[in-house]
Amino acid sequence: MKRRTFLKTIAATAPLVAVSTPTLLSAKATPKSPNAMDLKTALKAITGGKAVTDSDKIKLVVPEIAENGAVVPVKIHVTHPMEANNYVKTIHVFATQNVNVRCADVHLTPANGKGYFATRVKLAKSQDVMALVELSDGTFIKTQKPVKVTIGGCG
Amino acid sequence: MGKAIVKIKPKKYKVGDIVKVDFIAIHPMETGMRKDKKSGKIIPAKYIEDVEFFYNGKLFTKMDIWESTSTNPYLSVNLKITEPGEVKVTYKDNTGETGEKAKKIKPKAA
Repeated sequence: MKRRTFLKTIAATAPLVAVSTPTLLSAKATPKSPNAMDLKTALKAITGGKAVTDSDKIKLVVPEIAENGAVVPVKIHVTHPMEANNYVKTIHVFATQNVNVRCADVHLTPANGKGYFATRVKLAKSQDVMALVELSDGTFIKTQKPVKVTIGGCG
Repeated sequence: MGKAIVKIKPKKYKVGDIVKVDFIAIHPMETGMRKDKKSGKIIPAKYIEDVEFFYNGKLFTKMDIWESTSTNPYLSVNLKITEPGEVKVTYKDNTGETGEKAKKIKPKAA
């Protein structure tokens, strides 16, 4: 009896506790990814709480409307040198409202020549796609764009 | 593990050029959140986690990939051409399966 009431309470507040109690939910509720992580948590984990500024150095190319949320093309161009002591160190791509926001963490080197990365991501629903960039000097910049999804992409 | 493809674009390049290295792996990228329609059971998560790009044995790009990346993942980065040789991409998924694919680098005479 107590467990049943407890689970009902959990279900009602699921969005808040989903990240912290995945094992409790897994038995009865919708399947949750073992990698479930929201944007705030992901950003904190990556930046350690450092300031992140919006920057037009990052050109993020995504479709305004994605017909198929399972395959949404994402292209990122960072206007920044790629020299030995000054380069684009990491490009992180986030689907800001997916159960696991993380799509890819791309660790570049000066050998790449340019701060560029392209991929295709799954968007569960309409949401912002975010590019978070870490430069070799430890600073973080970001940009984001909304993508409207007509058919959700997580099956 | 399924097939993988490495493409260098453009096809003709010389030393000093920056080319695009396109990598595509044939892989389901299962999130672990989908249910099999017939059995009702959850399809276990199976997705590529680590991808490494090497140029003549030297690591030039390393990626951590997550299940929000699409099925048959397409991953593309740039590479500055400095010498002839080979680009090799190795990958591993969360179940421990690995694969690799190489492509020769043949710069045209300047």
